[in-house]
Amino acid sequence: MSFEEKTSHSLDELLAEGGSAEDLYSELRASFDLDKNNASSDEELKQLRDRWLGRKNGLLSAANDNWLKAASRGRKPQVGRLQNEAKRYIESALANAKNQLASAQKTHQHIDITLPGPPREIGARHPVRLVNEEIWSIFRGLGYSIAEGPEIETFYNNFEALNFSEDHPAVDEMDTIFIEDRTVLRTHTSPNQIRIMKDRQPPLRYLVPGKVYRHDTPDSTHTPMFHQIEGFAVDENITFTDLKGTLDYFSKQFFGPDTKTRFRPSFFPFTEPSAEVDVSCPFCSGDGCRTCKDTGFIEVLGCGMIDPEVFRHVGYDPERYSGFAFGFGIDRFAMLKYHIDDIQLLFQGDVRFLRQFR
Amino acid sequence: MQVLLSWLQDFVELPEYPEEIAETLTMAGMAVDAVHQQDGETVFELDITANRSDALNHFGIARELSAIYRRPMKTPAVEVSESDEPASSRASIEIADADLCARYSGRVLLDVAVKPSPDWMRKRLELCGVRSINNIADLTNYVLLELGHPTHAFDLDLLAESKIIVRLARDGEQLQTLDGLDRKLSSEHLVIADASRPVALAGVMGGAKTEISEATRNVLLEAAWFQPSLIRRTARHFGMHTEASHRFERGADVGATVWAADRIAHLFGQVGFGTLLRGVIDTYPGAAERGNIHLRAARIGRLLGAEVPDEEVLKILEALGFVAEPADGGWKVTPPSHRLDVDREIDLIEEVARIHGYHKFPMTLPPAFGGTEEPPYAREEAEVRSALRSLGYDETISYSFISEEDASRFGSWEPVAIRNPVSEPWSVMRNTAVPSMLKALERNLNRSEPDVRLMEIGRLYRAGGDPYREPPVLAMGATGMVRRASLGDAGAPFDFFALKSDILTLLSGFDIQEVSFDAREIPAFYAAGNSARLLLNGQAAGTLGELDLKLAEARKIRQPVYLAEIFLDPLWQAGLKSLKYQKLPNVPAVHRDLSLFVPEGVSFAEIRATVGQQDDLRGLEPIEIFRSKQVPEGCYSLLLRAIWQKDSESMTDEEVNRYAGHIVASLSKAFGIQQRG
Repeated sequence: MSFEEKTSHSLDELLAEGGSAEDLYSELRASFDLDKNNASSDEELKQLRDRWLGRKNGLLSAANDNWLKAASRGRKPQVGRLQNEAKRYIESALANAKNQLASAQKTHQHIDITLPGPPREIGARHPVRLVNEEIWSIFRGLGYSIAEGPEIETFYNNFEALNFSEDHPAVDEMDTIFIEDRTVLRTHTSPNQIRIMKDRQPPLRYLVPGKVYRHDTPDSTHTPMFHQIEGFAVDENITFTDLKGTLDYFSKQFFGPDTKTRFRPSFFPFTEPSAEVDVSCPFCSGDGCRTCKDTGFIEVLGCGMIDPEVFRHVGYDPERYSGFAFGFGIDRFAMLKYHIDDIQLLFQGDVRFLRQFR
Repeated sequence: MQVLLSWLQDFVELPEYPEEIAETLTMAGMAVDAVHQQDGETVFELDITANRSDALNHFGIARELSAIYRRPMKTPAVEVSESDEPASSRASIEIADADLCARYSGRVLLDVAVKPSPDWMRKRLELCGVRSINNIADLTNYVLLELGHPTHAFDLDLLAESKIIVRLARDGEQLQTLDGLDRKLSSEHLVIADASRPVALAGVMGGAKTEISEATRNVLLEAAWFQPSLIRRTARHFGMHTEASHRFERGADVGATVWAADRIAHLFGQVGFGTLLRGVIDTYPGAAERGNIHLRAARIGRLLGAEVPDEEVLKILEALGFVAEPADGGWKVTPPSHRLDVDREIDLIEEVARIHGYHKFPMTLPPAFGGTEEPPYAREEAEVRSALRSLGYDETISYSFISEEDASRFGSWEPVAIRNPVSEPWSVMRNTAVPSMLKALERNLNRSEPDVRLMEIGRLYRAGGDPYREPPVLAMGATGMVRRASLGDAGAPFDFFALKSDILTLLSGFDIQEVSFDAREIPAFYAAGNSARLLLNGQAAGTLGELDLKLAEARKIRQPVYLAEIFLDPLWQAGLKSLKYQKLPNVPAVHRDLSLFVPEGVSFAEIRATVGQQDDLRGLEPIEIFRSKQVPEGCYSLLLRAIWQKDSESMTDEEVNRYAGHIVASLSKAFGIQQRG
């Protein structure tokens, strides 16, 4: 006897052949499940619903009439519960099946995932900014604070306190832009050594970034405004080997772990001994290329031990304290790092250039 | 400076490979920029630092090499054959101010034949970039390149009373220098004069009237020492820079005048075209005494961080010409007269480090100490940057100088003028960041980049600080599409509201109670009616809006351009918003759209202010504005959405109706606004 036939018989008849009411309702659910699995379209789902829940000919209605209503009085409560459970089971299964079908149908409508989405643009960070931040983070790790100072600076702070005498040719070499006799656009960030040391007591470790100015006509390697970072450390036992170690550490962090540094004696009025620092060319690893003019090295910064005269200007005892200072051009670092061949690009606001740094 | 290998070899024995010599010099602080071969000679291009006047010549470079390689120096020959007649019988020298001219040594040559120099001399001069003139002038130049001491030759017969007087010029005196220019002299300038008039600008250039010419028979040779700063001021005053002034202003060797004169005499004798009178007329009132320097052995290691053995220190100093005697834990060191740059212990330590070799010192890191600080407004500045970056603004940086014209058109205070501007369009320090932003936008438009958003954080400059004030400023510039067209989206052009919205988004990170906009005191470069003033807590803090159409037209800008300038000090002072969690509401918000007829001229800000802070009101947003025939005359239609929310209970319809009623009633009372029927 098929399950469908069973629904046309009374419960008592069916049970007389053995089994329980629970078994019968289990068979009902299994029979429904089987049916449901064959329904794979909206139409078939509708037919499924009609076949089971249809008011007139639905199988559940038949069970209601032939099993529940015709059940003996003693069985009625149990069968009523089973009938209700079966109804809820079928209804929720039908709802699920409908949802599943709906979402299954959705994935069937293929979209062209290769089409672009709507453009959303993020702004570009300026290369000078990027390099600045990279340098700051390296020196923060070495315990350096970051400070700023004015761009319009006194002649005294820019030169005299840094041991340049007004009549020294080194002042000429600075190509100074003047505001007044004794006021200049700072030619370097070094006057911040003076400002910070006058304000504080050692130990000090500072990094001072900012714009600096020189009387230069713009070309691919010069602009009258550019960016420098001044760094300095003052304490009771700072040595020349500390200076070498610090800048070697920095160079390896910035240009890569295999970078070699070379310290050449040089002259700056505010440091002694003074040095220029070359790093092994990051482009050819020192083999020689156009960037390093086949020398294998690129000059990247100037540095030295702070001259005792500078300490005298800020009221430090040069017998007690020593220190080192270094300064480098951020624009040049950016040019080296990103292979920029014209410094003027940094100051033109050309989005074709800037957007390369998004 | 060009230096010839063969010339160096006159004084010191050198290794075979020029590249090795170049490297050695460079690593000792005499930077060799290039080595090249020319006419069978090796030429080094040297870049000598400003402190090393002693190294501006072949002998000086050879002395460095002799110290580095520890090889002996050969001094150039000075064997002179003199006549019996003393030079002093034919000329006299007088120094008026010993501070300005510490020494003047003269030699006299008679019956010279002025003619071309021998080939070997011409060749050396020319390889060093010096034009050969005649044998007498060439001798002075040759010795300049060889020993570094500038000398000068006068036509003795043209010196009135055969007299040399070194004195300050008198106001109004004139001198035609060798370059043919007439120089107006004053009492600030040191001159060499004869009995009647100036004949040379001391230490800078000789005079044309007493120049050596083919007619010259008798010569007075000058080898002197002039005060460096005076020479520098004089050369600068006349805009002159000569081989002589270059060396005198860096400091010549007061001990070398006789030597230089004798060396010229020697070479003169070698090529033999006249008679050298006996002796040097050496007027030497005396140079300032230079004391000795106490160099402490311990100080060397203390400062350099690594020991240099005592014997090595001594060897280095002696090789460089210093005299060192043991004294008190170190040495008493007397510098040679050519080393004017060395007069302190630290100078000696540098010499030791330099010749010992910087590469021999190890690398160490100083021990860690304390915490670090950031500049006062670093976090605030980072917030502005990151907000604008998220909004699609590319960061730019522009020059701090603008033209006077831009400063007066776009700026609001008297700009700080530059005394020696790099060029005319950069004659003042910017008092506004707008013109440079505008130029950047123009530049992009001219390069077919129509959609641009740029921002710059920088400073402006004005009088009244230490030494000036440099207020930080944010400039924004935008043009073209704020959202470019894409699939299913026609895109949207940048407009005033996009700019305003970006500014509000940027400000939302800051702890500012009240952000408002009005149309007062807006600079004329903005388009009237499409520009605004920004107020933060009631204080003016910036301007924003579209560029005036006439200005745009004059610049051939054919699409709307938007600019904003915001002073950052108010933002820095406000600080970042302090973040605090608020309990989430349990019930959803409800809203009601009110369709209103608003009399023209009533602004949204007025409507918002009139509604004020109603209970439970969370938002009041304009949804739609339109004008049509269905709207009563003199009004526009505004669809206003009010949003309410209670923390824990749902709002009833009556409450919402009551709240909506209040809004309509207050607007009706204030402005005669009508609710649409």
